[in-house]
Amino acid sequence: MGKYQEEALILANEGVADTTWRLVLECPRIAAEARPGQFVMLQIREGTDPLLRRPFSFHRIHPERAVFEILYRVVGRGTWWLSQTRQGSRVSVVGPLGNAFRPPDRPGPVAVVGGGIGVAPLYELLHQLAKPSAFFGGAVDIHFFYGTRTAAEMLPESTFSELNLPVHRSTDDGTAGFCGTVVDLFRRVLEKDRWRPAVIYACGSLPMQFAVAQWALSRGTPAQLSLESLMACGLGACLGCALPAPDPKAPNADRYVHVCKDGPIFEAGSIRWNKMQPPPVTPPTFVCV
Amino acid sequence: MEQDAAAAGHATDLRVRLGPLTLANPVMVASGTFGYGEEYADFVDLTRLGAVVVKGISLEPRAGNPPPRIVETPSGMINAIGLENVGIDKFLEEKLPALQSRRVPVIVNILGNTADQYVELASRLDGIAGIAALELNISCPNVKEGGMAFGADPAMAGHLVEKVRRATRLPLITKLTPNVTSIAAVAKAVEAAGTDIVSCINTVSALAVDAFSRRPKLANLVGGLSGPAIKPIALRCVYETVQSVRCPVIGIGGIASAVDAMEFLLVGARAIQVGTANFVRPTATMEILEGIERVLRFLGLSRIEDYIGTLDAECRFPFAEEACRF
Ligand SMILES: Cc1cc2nc3c(=O)[nH]c(=O)nc-3n(C[C@H](O)[C@H](O)[C@H](O)COP(=O)(O)OP(=O)(O)OC[C@H]3O[C@@H](n4cnc5c(N)ncnc54)[C@H](O)[C@@H]3O)c2cc1C
Ligand SMILES: Cc1cc2nc3c(=O)[nH]c(=O)nc-3n(C[C@H](O)[C@H](O)[C@H](O)COP(=O)(O)O)c2cc1C
Ligand code: FES
Repeated sequence: MGKYQEEALILANEGVADTTWRLVLECPRIAAEARPGQFVMLQIREGTDPLLRRPFSFHRIHPERAVFEILYRVVGRGTWWLSQTRQGSRVSVVGPLGNAFRPPDRPGPVAVVGGGIGVAPLYELLHQLAKPSAFFGGAVDIHFFYGTRTAAEMLPESTFSELNLPVHRSTDDGTAGFCGTVVDLFRRVLEKDRWRPAVIYACGSLPMQFAVAQWALSRGTPAQLSLESLMACGLGACLGCALPAPDPKAPNADRYVHVCKDGPIFEAGSIRWNKMQPPPVTPPTFVCV
Repeated sequence: MEQDAAAAGHATDLRVRLGPLTLANPVMVASGTFGYGEEYADFVDLTRLGAVVVKGISLEPRAGNPPPRIVETPSGMINAIGLENVGIDKFLEEKLPALQSRRVPVIVNILGNTADQYVELASRLDGIAGIAALELNISCPNVKEGGMAFGADPAMAGHLVEKVRRATRLPLITKLTPNVTSIAAVAKAVEAAGTDIVSCINTVSALAVDAFSRRPKLANLVGGLSGPAIKPIALRCVYETVQSVRCPVIGIGGIASAVDAMEFLLVGARAIQVGTANFVRPTATMEILEGIERVLRFLGLSRIEDYIGTLDAECRFPFAEEACRF
């Protein structure tokens, strides 16, 4: 498996929900080798400000068309510039980087939990899980939990209809689906329907992933979480993207894993959640009545 | 034109001599920005680099500072990695053999909390095949002991270099910090103490805070600024150092293009190291190397040695505006 630096042609760059954009890139070598869960480093524009590339996960991969897609949320200067980039221009892309989601270790139902823009890498995963693919082999009984803060941020229903699987929706403010967080919904459905996933795949905000990790660890359920960190190189060279991790040999010692090289997909137990900064607690944004 | 020159046997001679060290070309990678080489093997033909300077090595492995460790600033970044590294044992067992098989000169950047630790590192690395030189990091702003404490004081820096000098026959490079009143004073002290070469600069001490959360952006509070933002500071430091010592000087700081590299060579650096630019374009060193050759050819020079240190100190308008061609 190689890594490449390619000048990708922008085939489309369009808004798909509130602050959420979809970027379609023609990029043959990277599209040919990309796997769900991996990411690219994208140089937003020429010049030195913003200087560093920005990491984005593969949202869809179409190797047969030499194309991949990125779903991104505009949160700062870099992503704002990206949203202003025109169809027909080129952006420099480095990838594919990092590890990928692994197939379930054991048969059984699969839970996929996505919060906000965290849905980005899960969408290709869902496709590969749902269709008999070389990689995942076609899992049965997939439940997809998808939550955003509000209805306007949610990808349209039609996005998921082709997958033909149950989508459990939530919004923090109750404007669509269940009122509350996606983790609340996940817990609720599991309790009500009394099923146990054989594996959980998740991506979302740090507090959300923390909650999923807690649930998985307390029940001994394997969970593969896609985590983030600030990155400079994406290649394992700068050591900037560190996250605290337990060291099996020395439980009290500080040890770090690197999101770009050891991740971005981590098992719930391989991160020291209580040492994460900022501490994984969020006050509720909305109160459901 | 390119083929003509090659056919006529006029290939550009990029070899540079730095005291006891001779490099095939002046383009190296800066410590901490290229891992141990393998990380960039998909993008860079390592054999074409003048040398690879590896991530700083200490006697014991170091975990480094808690995250967040990096933050972007206008045309630069601040890092507080805290010298995370695998330690010398693992370096020798795992990292060095992979580099040796790639046939590129390796420069090992070393660091310690005490002078004795530097000495022990130097003597353990002495005589190992494939190691071309040692670079003493006495300039890291991100660790409490050692690091910049040595590099900020000419007398301390001199004592340290003197001790390490006795421990190794390898060419010794001392890497200087810009976070001092007079970089020339430190350069003179380490030259007198026996360093063969000096390299400058390491990162510039810096701070980033968030106006809304009212918190620092790095867990370590302060860190080291690198990238294009520091190039003018680095160029000044290299110039002052070249003026004050006889030993060769390596230029580092914000080099992202062939023209940037030429500017450092012009003020007298005999080689350069590319740092943060590797993060932005993993192929940066190859582009810089090819660009240097093109600029030399454009200037009608066949040897890079004929360009080094040829700054005409008298300023005249207008400036040449050739930069955009390369
Ligand atoms: C492996 C990986 C995959 C990612 N995949 C996607 C994706 O598919 N879609 C998507 O929209 N985003 C994704 N991100 C997050 C994305 O990289 C950041 O949102 C982006 O870098 C912000 O750039 P900016 O210049 O707009 O923000 P800045 O102006 O740099 O910062 C604005 C805000 O964004 C936050 N931010 C900056 N970088 C990150 C980061 N790496 N992770 C989280 N928050 C950050 C900052 O802390 C700040 O609050 C991913 C991050 C990683 C590490
Ligand atoms: C992430 C990072 C890690 C670094 N680690 C080291 C190191 O281990 N030893 C060292 O001497 N310098 C280290 N440096 C400093 C660089 O080698 C270089 O001196 C500095 O970044 C300036 O060059 P630049 O502007 O081209 O990056 C590091 C710099 C960065 C950005
Ligand atoms: S981003 Fe540089 S090591 Fe991970």
